[in-house]
Amino acid sequence: MTATAVRETEPAQRQPAVPAAQSSPLARGRKRLFWPFIAPALVLYVVFYILPTLATAWISLNKWAGAGPMEFAGLDNYRRLLLDPVFQGSFANTLTILFAVGGATFALSFLLTMILRDMAGRKAVRAIIFFPNIISGIVLSILWGFLFQAEGVVNQALRTFGMDNPPNWLGTENLFSVIMIGLVWVQTGFFTTILMAAVDRIPKDLYEVCDLEGANAWQRFRHVTLPLMWDVVGVCAVLWSISAIKIFEFIYAFAGAAGQLPPTKVWNTALYAYAEAFASGVPKYGSAAATGMVMLALVGVLVVLLRRMFRRDTVQF
Amino acid sequence: MAMTRKFPGPSKLLGSPFAWLFALFSVAVAVWMLLTSLKSTRAIFAEPWSLPTTPQWDNYARAWTASDFAGATLNTVILVFGTAVATIALSAPAAYALSRILTRWNSGITAFFALGLGIPSQVIILPLYVMMNELYLVDSLTGLWILYVATSMPFTVFFLTGFFGSLPKELEEAAALDGASANRTFWQIMLPLARSGIITAMILNIIQHWGETLFGLVFLQSEEKATLSLALLGFLQRMQYNGADWGGLFAGVCTVVLPVLACYIWLGRRIIEGMTLGSVK
Repeated sequence: MTATAVRETEPAQRQPAVPAAQSSPLARGRKRLFWPFIAPALVLYVVFYILPTLATAWISLNKWAGAGPMEFAGLDNYRRLLLDPVFQGSFANTLTILFAVGGATFALSFLLTMILRDMAGRKAVRAIIFFPNIISGIVLSILWGFLFQAEGVVNQALRTFGMDNPPNWLGTENLFSVIMIGLVWVQTGFFTTILMAAVDRIPKDLYEVCDLEGANAWQRFRHVTLPLMWDVVGVCAVLWSISAIKIFEFIYAFAGAAGQLPPTKVWNTALYAYAEAFASGVPKYGSAAATGMVMLALVGVLVVLLRRMFRRDTVQF
Repeated sequence: MAMTRKFPGPSKLLGSPFAWLFALFSVAVAVWMLLTSLKSTRAIFAEPWSLPTTPQWDNYARAWTASDFAGATLNTVILVFGTAVATIALSAPAAYALSRILTRWNSGITAFFALGLGIPSQVIILPLYVMMNELYLVDSLTGLWILYVATSMPFTVFFLTGFFGSLPKELEEAAALDGASANRTFWQIMLPLARSGIITAMILNIIQHWGETLFGLVFLQSEEKATLSLALLGFLQRMQYNGADWGGLFAGVCTVVLPVLACYIWLGRRIIEGMTLGSVK
């Protein structure tokens, strides 16, 4: 539920200041309001967002238990992370979620977008598949986990189809796959909705031309639909990267079966950061902060790469 | 494949059933969640598919009294509405100034707010914990409220800046010509004009915080201050000592989901567009 809408152009840039208006008393009266209007939001944002980010960067270079003296440690925390097998696993899981779940979600979203393009009842289907997006991750996780219980609905269904020994879904060896499938289920509706809106903007006559030229479904998608929605796909990829790295609740609540935290095999970096700071015996703020910085760096690298990848002359239509 | 126009092609023939199956799956999960919340734990596993023979309203009574979902619901409602109101009160003026009062700072500050959209909560939570601890605002709903409002700033300011930017300028100019001060123009002309955007921003904010977990988990400790998602986690944890009470758990789950579902049925289109439209524009 952390969807964010990224606009390519800042609205403020659309209207260049008119020099003549600046001197009028009206404009001056408005100018006086600029800082009083912006200051409260800006101060709150700087104090609770920007300064903590900088503080985390500093903490990540120190050994600290959250209270008491801080001990400067240089890059020790980062070195420790590199050597910690649990962190390696968590980082690998974060990447797996990013690319495997992302890939499956995008493939499924494209498929559904094409199916829904001219299907009866598309609005209803869209409304239904979007719904999981606004439900708390904890709830989704409880529901999803319960479906896969040993005596749960999924296994009962498998048994009626003649599978006598259905897999132990919530065992450590299968749990991460179950989590990944669940994430695809939750996320697909969101991206399908965005892609559908992009497809709806494409003029119908382009598809009529396709029909006249005898293009098949794949050709239509490859040469008309995809190029014309390319910029939106880029925005989706950025949105996915940011939200995928933050995923926490959906994995965390699988602890329900095993105590405080789920098995380390299914941790991602978000869980690792939480565990280091708040759920281990002595809080390790240094390495939790370093994990946070790794996450931030990953977001930064992905956003830059994706913007470069998707930067292309937007097709005008 | 000119045939596709006369006969439904294979993609269409398989396509729409697939889309409906995907949607039906989510509906089935929701229906099954409701039914389960009305069954006894034994019936849940013995007959997972059947309707509850006698609805176990007792599940809800247990969740609401014994596990104090009632208190958690009250905490969450106050917290979430307080957050939405304060968020709008602070971000609407900022968004108005950013989109309508032109100085050389506008685009820089707008981009600066947008930067926050990319910062994961896990990055800021440690210093916030230290800070709130110093201020004695850990394990306090007021403290959590401040955090929710502050962390709502990037998205809400960004969302509303786009919205104010799309409003017509004429009314504002007319008001100014009639002698209304800039301040008055904002409160009496622009704010009512932006009502639909503000309501959408509030709904998105409410939905987002209704099930918020990470900050609640870190910043609240005592049980009587728990929000809904913490009450659910607490219930899960207790089930390990007291034995499985799946009926009660699902009654709790329904307590969290049903208000959102009602809101979605009522305002669905607005929610969907609010969460997605910005990406296409």
